[in-house]
Amino acid sequence: MIRETIALTKRELLRLARNPQAIATSLLLPILYLLLFGQGFNLGNLAGRGLPPGALTALLIGAPTYFSYFAAGMVGFVAVTATLFIGANVIFDKLFGILKRISSTPASAASIFGARLIAGSIQPIGLAFLVLGLSIALGHLGLSGLDVTASVGPVGALEIVLAVVILSVMFASLFLAIGFSIEQPQTYFAIVNAINLPVLLTSAALYPWGTMPAWLQNVASYNPVTLAVEVIRLNLFAAAPSYYAYSAGVYLLGLLGWAVAMNLIATVLARRALGPRH
Amino acid sequence: MSGTLPGDGWIVAQDLVKTFNGSVHAVRGVSFEVRPGEIYGFLGPNGAGKTTTVAMLTAGLEATSGTGLVDGLDVRREPSRVKRRIGVVFQESTADGDLTGRENLELAAALYSVPRSELRARVDGLLERMQIGEAADRLAKTYSGGMRRRLELAAGIVHAPRILFLDEPTLGLDPQGRAGFWKYVLELRRDHAMTVFVTTHYLDEADDMCDRIAIIDHGTIVATGTPGELKDRLGGDIVTVRPTSPAPTLGPVLGAVPGVTSVGQQDGAYRLKCANGETLVPAIVAACVGAGVGLQGVSLKRPSLDEVFLEFTGREFREDEGPTATDRAVMVGRVRERFRGRR
Repeated sequence: MIRETIALTKRELLRLARNPQAIATSLLLPILYLLLFGQGFNLGNLAGRGLPPGALTALLIGAPTYFSYFAAGMVGFVAVTATLFIGANVIFDKLFGILKRISSTPASAASIFGARLIAGSIQPIGLAFLVLGLSIALGHLGLSGLDVTASVGPVGALEIVLAVVILSVMFASLFLAIGFSIEQPQTYFAIVNAINLPVLLTSAALYPWGTMPAWLQNVASYNPVTLAVEVIRLNLFAAAPSYYAYSAGVYLLGLLGWAVAMNLIATVLARRALGPRH
Repeated sequence: MSGTLPGDGWIVAQDLVKTFNGSVHAVRGVSFEVRPGEIYGFLGPNGAGKTTTVAMLTAGLEATSGTGLVDGLDVRREPSRVKRRIGVVFQESTADGDLTGRENLELAAALYSVPRSELRARVDGLLERMQIGEAADRLAKTYSGGMRRRLELAAGIVHAPRILFLDEPTLGLDPQGRAGFWKYVLELRRDHAMTVFVTTHYLDEADDMCDRIAIIDHGTIVATGTPGELKDRLGGDIVTVRPTSPAPTLGPVLGAVPGVTSVGQQDGAYRLKCANGETLVPAIVAACVGAGVGLQGVSLKRPSLDEVFLEFTGREFREDEGPTATDRAVMVGRVRERFRGRR
């Protein structure tokens, strides 16, 4: 079981490494957002034009600048956009007969699914930390950058890592669940588009919390992207804890609940797709 | 087949039935036994139910009813043990194009739990044997059709299974590629006493390579036997006698030759059926000479599987006759899915 999972994970990673265009595409999106959207959409300028001091920090629930708030949000954003492709890969592997070959071997459904989950989570995890690093670096290059105002200790760092990992695993599970249940790429992309935008636009990844209407804040508080982003913001911004109802651990637990539920659903669907057809 | 179940190396199908979506009858109850070390051919046109039968016996598809026993194991009850003991080569290409030939085989070896200590030697040996050694470290998507097929075969036997299922393994290969592929299969059978179950719609392939054949049409087995037996059931050989000029009186003369069972006429030539044509040719020629009829030529033909197929199905062997039952089932599924998606 372990040997099969390792062999299949290696296969997924080899394929990823041999597809530099896909890696470039997945890098492009967060880089464009940070370099263009983050720089252009600068709420700090509004603050300079009449907002009372401290009002911006209140709107951004503890973040010193909109870019800082947004950079933490982008970590959640990339977890969604970078896990997309692993569900699509399942469909292409079905179309090219590769999944048929793999399921004709004694490899268990758990290892076939597990390998894709591991390989599929690695890229978003890597991207998430690239986003954090790049955002901090931009601040040192005379552009808007991520301004970390809290001192991040080992526990905080661990919480951030956990939030990124759990969120990536959750979305990887979601997209694998869809990939294993769908036969046609066009159907997959239609469904994924119908999920992606609503998930991102009902989260607190991009909007300043203080400008969101109460009903949207309510919806967003249950959104897994929000939960992960809250853990990150709580650890990066010194003023944040006073604005949040719970500690980072509570948000992490909520996020874990999402991930476990999604993983269970995906496992059931994958097992069904990999077992004998009826 | 009473008493103990056939074990090592046997493939047994007992009244296997597969119906898709309750209405598409892909396989309508097939029963057969493949003995250890035998090459057993499943011959039939597209859509006859060959691939569906293979899928049921290799634990890829659940039978609607009936039993499949492979290497002494019930496929429905012990699918993973069955998978461990068999090799499968599918009709479509399933090699991973983004991996090299060697990586494809190493992956297959890991999935079949080939001991690590043997892995390298096994993979190198197969690459050599299948003549892909030089291309071993190239991505499989750069391989020619024949090389890909040989890679598929290598991946199917990397764990040295007792039983090998080949589903239309030479589909789309040129004659040279087909001959090359079969050379390896025959070697495997010789060296490892492997049982081989092969589906094909190439009549010549079934004739040349298989020890026994089942002819399947519309999901039912219509005849089984060795290629020779099947042809014998047609009533023997066909001797064609072509006179130099029309000879209307020759028919009764030929019919009177002892051993000739029937006489037919086609395009001015006489087609004689007889049990053993070779020994009758002298007597037939003598009868023509005795009747004063000059001969342009005499030919002897063992009946081909083409004629066997015609005899047992009442139709010419058809190559492509629209979608297969599996295709139809998939299409129905897709239409349903789209419909669901729109609601």
